[in-house]
Amino acid sequence: MDAVASPATRLTDMSVAAASRLIGAGELSPVALVEAFLDRIAEVDGRLHSYLLIIAEAARAEARVAEAEIRAGRRRGPLHGIPYAVKDNYFTAGVRTCVASRLMLDHVPDFDATAIVRLRAAGAILLGKLNTWEYGTGTGGVYFDLPFEPARNPWNLDHFTGGSSTGAGASVAGGTAMFALGSDTGGSVRLPAAACGLQGIKPSYGLVSRYGIHPNCYSLDVAGPLCRTAEDAAMVLSVIAGPDPADPASADHAPDDYARGIGAGVAGLVVGVVRGLTIEGATLDPANASGIEDMIGVLEGQGARIVDVALPSPFADYRRVTSVINWTESLSIHETDFLERGAQMGRALREKMMSGFTLRAVDYLAAVRHRRALAAGIDALMRTVDVLILPGAFHTAPNFADPDAVRDFTTHSTSSVFNVSGHPAMSVCTGFDGLGLPANAQIAGRWWDEATVLRVAHAYERATPWQARRPAL
Amino acid sequence: MMTEWTADEIAVFADRFGLAWLTPELLEQLRAAATRAAAAGAAVPRMPSEFCEPAHIFTGPR
Repeated sequence: MDAVASPATRLTDMSVAAASRLIGAGELSPVALVEAFLDRIAEVDGRLHSYLLIIAEAARAEARVAEAEIRAGRRRGPLHGIPYAVKDNYFTAGVRTCVASRLMLDHVPDFDATAIVRLRAAGAILLGKLNTWEYGTGTGGVYFDLPFEPARNPWNLDHFTGGSSTGAGASVAGGTAMFALGSDTGGSVRLPAAACGLQGIKPSYGLVSRYGIHPNCYSLDVAGPLCRTAEDAAMVLSVIAGPDPADPASADHAPDDYARGIGAGVAGLVVGVVRGLTIEGATLDPANASGIEDMIGVLEGQGARIVDVALPSPFADYRRVTSVINWTESLSIHETDFLERGAQMGRALREKMMSGFTLRAVDYLAAVRHRRALAAGIDALMRTVDVLILPGAFHTAPNFADPDAVRDFTTHSTSSVFNVSGHPAMSVCTGFDGLGLPANAQIAGRWWDEATVLRVAHAYERATPWQARRPAL
Repeated sequence: MMTEWTADEIAVFADRFGLAWLTPELLEQLRAAATRAAAAGAAVPRMPSEFCEPAHIFTGPR
């Protein structure tokens, strides 16, 4: 499966921003756009497996309404008429939400997740429900034991998408959705973005409502978008962010217009760089190593001041705290399912539940307590810089035929650092390796400063050709 | 020094807390998971001070 550089000649290759401008100018029909995506799904998704459920007729109906409203001068905003899809852990009223699990195959919610309510109000058009690891979680392993085929990486169908928002990564990269929503407990937005060559942002904990998203770990779960460009991510985040009384963790923090200052450049920004990280002896793949240095060079060339910094604690500390909190909270959420029907779970979910089953209360409380110290350390570091650049996933997307490499793709990543600390963090495509698989780096920012993270990502993206490249599916 | 769970211990623990569907293979997976979890839990640093509390998980209205 060769990667090809091509201009955005198909509607399904366009960015959200480009399509939005054309819709706003009356030069692109939402009906035509939705039909283009449904055609693309029909053409490739039998191989890509990005969707668990497609709601074509509902999407067509919404597109007709959008078109009529826009023609009548009642355009709701920049996402009006834009087709998107969500990881199947987002509840959708009247539409099956099974989270890729045998335990929930007949589950049809009677309400929409808050993020979907907000996107609907903005006029975005839901195409369907995307593939995911079971319950949106796991251990990193893929065992081919769920009721659905795993999503495939559009850059090479033999390769892994990253998880757990597998379909979100596959769909946007493969052109079966214009943007997608995922969720991120330890990297589940950023790792599929990394594997699939996308820009995926985990916002600050509490910025985006988790209400109506099948919970995985209350104190670590964050919802966020996967997009082709940083500008697209900014546009989506501007709609889905903001306080929600239905979510106990929702922060009383007004959302920004994250796209407004995205083109301001990086001159004068202080960019902290973390180099030399290893995890369990693993080092960065060459493409990821050169990609991150390329990013640093590009930003420095645009006037950013680069400073070398170090994580305040050994990486293993963040990993242990994440694991203990995640295993425990996840079992507390799904204990009844595990005790009564755990044999029907896939191995990855079942093993995670097992990990929580014997953990002691004092271990959990120690992790919760130590989390605060780790988060304070990251916050102190973050206050010395405007953004931090560090590796995200150490490896490019592995081949499914190598199960150890598949598991290592998740294990050898730094993403959990910012789930522990709560800071915003984004995976950004930094090029491609010799096999045509995407490379990545991670940009993290201060609490609530998604705008600067997106601004830095945008500056790099505009100076490099990577987002113009499309997989040859 | 922490000792690993034995197969008999994990079987008794699973039975005590209602895990009734385990095959011998799954019981072994549970034993391995329990050992991993115990190691991770034990490696988390303990309370540096009795005033360093995780009370933010329950607070009253503000």
